[in-house]
Formats: sequence, structure tokens, C-alpha cells
Amino acid sequence: MPGSPSALLYVFLALPILYLIGFVGFPIAYNLMMSVQEVNLGNITEFIRPFVGLDNYRTVLADESFQKVLVNTLLFVGCNVVAQVGIGLGVALFFAQDFPGAGFMRGLLLCSWMLPALVVGALWKWIFATEYGVANYVLSALHLVGSPIHWLSDPTVALTSVTLANIWFGMPFSMILIAAALTAIPKEHYEAASLDGAGSAARFWYITLPALKPALLAVACLVTIYTMRAFDLIFAMTQGGPLDASNVLPLLSYQFSFKQFDFGVGSAMGSFAFLIVFGVALLYVRTLKQETAS
Amino acid sequence: MSVRLRQLGVLPFGGWPATAVAIIGVCIYLFPIYWMLISGLKDSAEIFANPPTFVPRAPSLAAFEYVFVRENVLRYLRNSLTIAIPVTLLTLVLGSMGAYAMSRLRNRLVDVAIVVVLLLQVFPEALLATPMFIIFRSIDLLNTFAAVILATTSKTLAFALVILRPMFRQVPFELEEASFVDGCTRLQTFRLVVLPLMKVPLIVVGTLCFVQAYGQFVYGLTLLSQQELQPATVGIYSFVGAEYADWHRVMAFSSIFVLPILVIFLAMQRRIVSGLTAGALK
Repeated sequence: MPGSPSALLYVFLALPILYLIGFVGFPIAYNLMMSVQEVNLGNITEFIRPFVGLDNYRTVLADESFQKVLVNTLLFVGCNVVAQVGIGLGVALFFAQDFPGAGFMRGLLLCSWMLPALVVGALWKWIFATEYGVANYVLSALHLVGSPIHWLSDPTVALTSVTLANIWFGMPFSMILIAAALTAIPKEHYEAASLDGAGSAARFWYITLPALKPALLAVACLVTIYTMRAFDLIFAMTQGGPLDASNVLPLLSYQFSFKQFDFGVGSAMGSFAFLIVFGVALLYVRTLKQETAS
Repeated sequence: MSVRLRQLGVLPFGGWPATAVAIIGVCIYLFPIYWMLISGLKDSAEIFANPPTFVPRAPSLAAFEYVFVRENVLRYLRNSLTIAIPVTLLTLVLGSMGAYAMSRLRNRLVDVAIVVVLLLQVFPEALLATPMFIIFRSIDLLNTFAAVILATTSKTLAFALVILRPMFRQVPFELEEASFVDGCTRLQTFRLVVLPLMKVPLIVVGTLCFVQAYGQFVYGLTLLSQQELQPATVGIYSFVGAEYADWHRVMAFSSIFVLPILVIFLAMQRRIVSGLTAGALK
């Protein structure tokens, strides 16, 4: 072979990997370093800063808003995973039926996922406006609510509102992935089951669901990862308010850094979010490996 | 085929009745997008009408005119494009190199590289924004497009590598071998044989990366404090920041901003859907 062909392949491999290490890996390491330092606007550009050990982490753990926001994050992510995978599976099954326009309309749903998250947030802020919003109008026209709901300003409702908006935003993506996994189930399985006299419920329970299990797990991991990124949407809708009622970890960490300029505490808070995402990412990679192996 | 599909069944009926159900369902689901588009066509009286009108009584382009004249929509759109286009090109160059190498090399190093890519693509930008802000500040790149382009590419690149890798694998080795026999170097083979075959996947991935970069918000917000440089996402955000907003104008701005995305998506729907499903689960 001319030259040394594989040397070039290693260069090709190295360039994007070094890029990612430089612009993602290094910032993560830098974040970890800041989390054990005192970082404020005065010393922000210096590399050597006062080392404070785990003080920032202690501050974070003792912080009331952190405890509240950690619970919010788990609720927000948990509800999104259950709803996006559950509804996504239902919708994917519906579209797996044989009817005219099924594929086209299934794809059309993805419109919501294609929109920038910030625009989705702005749009739902308008839909959820207390006085002139269309959500309250429709609910009261259907006599489902008596007085208007304060979707975004009532601390007991705000988290539900941003969760609903995020489910609307993300569900079609989960559904598309589940639909792809559905078509990969060998049809012989269904034929055999039909011969054995299995009804549609039995076929779903004993064939579809077990065959989909790895894909559903991978989708659940992806939804967790994407939901942990839901900064733009919440930032546009409520900024995490009122009183952190709809705040999540990445957003709170950002606010500590850029509103209170306490970069050390912000970084320590970020480390907790990194840990959650990293754990799920490991699970995701393992799931993919198993799927490729099988 | 149709037998199998009905066997998955959740509904006792297929055919046109199911189509009707689907049309109604899709219309309800996408109603918010319709609401955005028509809100921009209302005037300041109709937008706050109670009950709200579901078809604009007197559609007007006044809100669009307002955001063009008073809110500098054109400048914001130009900034968004100035960021999104270089991000897309940089991602495609680095992404196709990496994905090609990953599909042709088979050793432990590649396995490690794939895991690195999968792991590095998951971190929320909001968390990376703080260290990025400090890093770009130290090298004096704050308030430059370069900072946002470099930061955004770190997200789109990982995404592109994940989707492109299985696609590059489909290029048959035999074609490359034939090209080596003809005396082409590896680089020539990549440029003249492999890349032309990958034209369609590269367009799909490029489109998806463009859409992501175009809608990127966090880095624009964090790394650009000069209003003249900020992308449209930041512009829309500062427009809705207030408790009370001129919603017809906000929605007009949003409509103008997302219209290109919706048009691109509708034109390439089928390819985008298959591109997305190819990468994420394999």
C-alpha cells in the first residue's frame, strides 16, 4: 500500500478526540479544580488560587436551596423519563400499525423536538400566561378549572409546568427511537406466537416488551441526559423561580457562578450534577455495548 | 408485512380510521407551534383578547415589522448564522475524519475513543459554561464569535461522531482497496472515494448540527456580553425576560427565527428521522 495508510487514520482519530478533550474534558477538570478553591471575580483569571479543601462542598450540602433543588431535579428528570418513555412507547405502538400516512405523521411529531429549547420555553411561557394564556382559557372553557391557574408564579405548580413543557419538547424524540427499535423485532416471533394462540395483550407482554427492554433502557438514559440539559427551557419560562420552585441543579450552579459570582460554590454544585450525568452515561454505554454484543 | 404490523396492535382497527385518529392527534400535539405562528399575526388588541381567537381576525404583519425595525432581528439572525455555519463546517470536517478512522481501525484505542466520545457528549452546557467562561477570559476570547463557535462545536462534534460512525462503516472496503490498487493514497481515497459516497449522510448530519448550533443559547449568553454580537436566542430571551411581554412581538420574533428550521425539517423529514435513529442506539 502507498505510504503508511494507517498513520493517517490515527491522525484522523486524534484530531476530533483531542478537540473534545480540550473543549469538554479540560473544562470538566478545570471545574473540579475550582470546586476546591476560593474563586471570585478578583482572582478569576489567575491559575493559583486559595485552596479551601472541601469547604465549597460543605457550603453546598448545607445550602437549603441546594437540598430543595436536588429534590426538584430528581422529580423533574424522573417524571420526564417515565412520561417520555411511557407515552413514547404508546405513540410508537400506535404508529407501528398499518395505516396510510403513518410514517409521515410519526415523523411530523418531531417538529417540537427540532425547535430551539429557548423558543420552546418562550412559547410555553406564553401558553401558560395566567390571564391571557391559552392553557387557562381551554381548561376553563372545558370547565376543568374554576379559577385561572398560576402556572409559572405559583410555587406549587411551577415545577409541573416546566415538566409538562419539557415532556412536550422531548417525547417525540424518545418515540422515534422506540419506533426504530420496534421495527427491528423479527416478525417470526409474532407469527410463532399467533400460531400458539397468543392474543394481542399476550404478544405485547411476552414478545414486544422483552425485545424492547434494552432499547427502552437506552432511551431512558438518553432522556435523563437530555433532561439534565434543560437549562434553556426553564431559564426562559421561570428562571428556576418562584423561590427555586422550578429550579434544577445545572441552572442553580449557573446562578451561583454568574449571579452571585461565587464560582467555587457554583463549581462544587456542578460536580454533583456531573456525577449524576456521568453515572447515567456509564449505564448508557454499558447498555449499548450489550446491545451490540447480542 | 401488514399482518405483522397489525399484530403489534394496540387498536382494534387499522386503515383510514386510524389515519383519522392520527391526524387529530398530530394536530393537537403540534397546536403550540400553530399558536406561535398565529400569535405573531395578531395586533396588540387581539393578542390580549378574551376569549382568545384561534384564527386571527385581522391578520397583520405589524408585529413582524416592529421586530424587524425596533428589535434588530436581522442583526440577531446574522449573528446566529455567523456562529452556526462555521460550527457546522468545523463539525463536518473533524467529524468525518474521526468517524472514518473509527470505522476503519479496529483495536483497543478505537474502543476507548468511542467510549470517550459517548461520555463527553453528555455533559450539560450550563455546567461547562463556567469553566469555558474563565478559560476564554484567560485567553482573551470573550466577546468574540470564535469563543462561541469553539464551545458549540464541542457539543455538535460528539453528536456527529456518534451518528456518522455506523454510516461510514457501510462504505465497502473493496471500493477503497480498488482505489489503493489504482495508486491513490489513503488521503486521496478518503477525499475522492469515501466522502462522495457519504454525501447524503453528511448533509443530514450537517443539517442536524446546524439546527443545534443555530438554537444554541447558553454559550451565547455566557461568552458574549456585547449585545451587537449576541445570537437570536439571546435576543428572544431578553425580549421575554420581563414579567409582562408583548407576546405578539415575541412570537413574531420566534416565528421568524424558527421558520428556517421548520422548512428544512419538513423538506428532509424522512432522512433526518433515519439519521437520528441510526446513531443513538447503535
